[in-house]
Amino acid sequence: MAFKFKGGVHPDYMKNPECPETVIPAPDQVVIPMAQHIGAPCKPLVQVGDIVKMGQKIGENPAPVSAPVHASVSGKVVAIEPRPHPLGDMIMAVVIENDHLDTPCNDLAPLTEEEMNDSETILARIREAGVVGLGGAMFPTAFKIRGGIGKVDKVIINGAECEPYLNGDHLTMLNYPEELLKGVELVRKASCVDKIYMGIEKNKQDAIDLLNGIIAKNNYPIEIVPENVKYPQGAEKMQVKAVTDREVKPGGLPAGVGANVVSTRTAYAIYQACYEGKPVIERIVTVGGSAMKGPVNALTRVGTPFGYLAEQCGGFVKTPRKIVLGGPMMGLCATSFEAPTVKGTAGVLYFTEEEDKMVPNPTCIRCGKCITVCPMNLEPVFMYMYYTKHDYDNMAKYHVTDCFECGSCSYNCPARMPLTHAFKTAKLMFQARAAKEKAKAEAAAAAAAAKEANN
Amino acid sequence: MAAEKKEKIILDVAYQPQVRTNRDTRSLMLDVIIALIPTLAVTIWQYGFHPLLVVLVSMASACFFEWGYRKLMKKDCRVGDLSALVTGMLLAMTLPTSVPVWLPVIGSFFAIVVVKQLYGGIGKNFLNPALAGRAFLLASYAGIMGRWQLPNAMKGIDAVSSATPLSYMYGDSALPAWLNMKSMFLGTIPGCIGELSALALLIGGIYLIARKVISWRIPVSFVGSVALVTLICGKAGYGHFEWMVDNVLAGGLLLGAFFMATDYVTSPVTLNGQLLFGCGCGLLTVLIRYFGGFPEGVSYAILIMNLCTWAIDKAFRRYPFGATKEDIAADKAERKAARGAAK
Repeated sequence: MAFKFKGGVHPDYMKNPECPETVIPAPDQVVIPMAQHIGAPCKPLVQVGDIVKMGQKIGENPAPVSAPVHASVSGKVVAIEPRPHPLGDMIMAVVIENDHLDTPCNDLAPLTEEEMNDSETILARIREAGVVGLGGAMFPTAFKIRGGIGKVDKVIINGAECEPYLNGDHLTMLNYPEELLKGVELVRKASCVDKIYMGIEKNKQDAIDLLNGIIAKNNYPIEIVPENVKYPQGAEKMQVKAVTDREVKPGGLPAGVGANVVSTRTAYAIYQACYEGKPVIERIVTVGGSAMKGPVNALTRVGTPFGYLAEQCGGFVKTPRKIVLGGPMMGLCATSFEAPTVKGTAGVLYFTEEEDKMVPNPTCIRCGKCITVCPMNLEPVFMYMYYTKHDYDNMAKYHVTDCFECGSCSYNCPARMPLTHAFKTAKLMFQARAAKEKAKAEAAAAAAAAKEANN
Repeated sequence: MAAEKKEKIILDVAYQPQVRTNRDTRSLMLDVIIALIPTLAVTIWQYGFHPLLVVLVSMASACFFEWGYRKLMKKDCRVGDLSALVTGMLLAMTLPTSVPVWLPVIGSFFAIVVVKQLYGGIGKNFLNPALAGRAFLLASYAGIMGRWQLPNAMKGIDAVSSATPLSYMYGDSALPAWLNMKSMFLGTIPGCIGELSALALLIGGIYLIARKVISWRIPVSFVGSVALVTLICGKAGYGHFEWMVDNVLAGGLLLGAFFMATDYVTSPVTLNGQLLFGCGCGLLTVLIRYFGGFPEGVSYAILIMNLCTWAIDKAFRRYPFGATKEDIAADKAERKAARGAAK
């Protein structure tokens, strides 16, 4: 029985799990950005002209918060240069000309049964295979799990998939239940806990039944927690609340209350890494939106450009206005058709004016609907007011920095105020101000030190 | 070919969320208008088409002033959000059934131009425009505003000059037999255009709550507090329960509780604040009815509470998800210390 959190919205779900998993042929050229995770970007390990195999490691950084990247096709490296990243910037990327042979690379051998009982070996493999949070956050999984060992007693596999459109987690549960649960077991062993929980929204009842059957058959120490269908059920803090009734402190991490959350697709990627020796080079991407003919659940190689992906999924029926990465509630926009999918791209939605409900000069009517839906118990109407006045003290008082940008307030706003946008900007303003003050303090300290030295 | 076509597409970029609910300001306002239709129907049934004309003139003039002011001030036109239409309609609802058709024009000028637009238009006014317009008319045209007609259902009964149930209840004479709970429930009573039938107002109010236009907090706490106080402090000659029910059904209480006090702009947005706001409205209503010069207290009670909205919202700050009891205690101590320092 899941615990409830306050607030939340019920957007139009638009989910199509009956849409089968469609394999998208690898493009002639893949673009693999060196930053597909939170943390230190990778440095390319290959040179222009090198021949690489599918799954070969092509970028790495020894920093602890990092994850290597691998070639998603076999072929020849034709360029190593900054290319458009899905989120806007030009980021160093390795461009590989596909030879369409998919010559496999055998650097990662499947782990043996004994190795799969050792937390350290599993974690090393998770890191080597470049597994990051595939729900979209792209936080290096090995670092997350390692940080929680000893502190964390409840590990949760996040199968809520509360974002509209997205079906990747649901399809993984339906199509690869055995493999997924083996992956979940690996997460449990890596985290050194006796029991692991899976939080799944009740709109995936077929998956819950299927998984429960297999769990009973194999006696896995896994408990499935059916959760209410409500956005943002899959947000890390809400997921922890739903399963354990613990509330992550403002500004804190789930590990602070002894919980860790790993997404479903990540658990499956861990299975692939350990049992098959396959790094993260492909994933299910839900392609949809009103510009497309219909939704496609596309098994896509990492590094597939968005333009090519749309063509392979049936092409456009209308001119797209936006490319949304991930779900529509928290997804950001891509700026270019040339930008490629990355590990965390759970969906690529091509939106037209149909989805766009912006109005010129939005004006708040103080209806308070933002307050009733905020899962963090914040008061967006006042936060926005103080944001427009650049009133940092009051913004802090109203906890702007605790907003995790789920978008519920903006979604529910009848006046179409850009609330989430404002809070995102406000958080950046706080960061910038903190950096400025730090620099000022350092300069003052340096000046004082210089004065001291002169005396 | 395909590549060339793609080059020409300019992509929009926006922060999340990329989808929005279908409910916008316009649809919320439209719901308020729909919710008032049963009430209007009862009025037409009892008083013919003159009240309807008053309502239409009021709505039209409110829209005209909204459009005219913004045009004159070279601001963008906001008539499309229907808020002026709602203000005009609510203003007409607070006028007696017999008012001349030019009266709502003056009222909506005051409501739209002075109360709403001079403070910045929708979302910025601090008083409920419709009620402020009514208060203005009541002060300026007391004679017209106190002239009541007999409803069609009561034509031919032996009543010399008709008065509203409230003026009987708070006057010297007892309620006449034809003004009973049933007539107040159905709306066969003298009164303002929008306050006749408790049944029609309840239907409208429940529609608004069901459509999530308003929350239950303000209406329930408003009506509840009036009921509680009148139940405790009865009047000689009336049974306790009868006095309470008469007080709830008579006058503009239900109209005020469902349609006026719930006005977004001038009521608190914090959830506990809304409860306090409703209770405040209820207590003030009873206070004015018991001790004030007018028998009717709803409109002034709401206007007074409108002025407290900001203070109420500030007092009921929420604590973020995950804040522990210690965090809340520490924050309260800090605020107390800040108040002490300010003194």
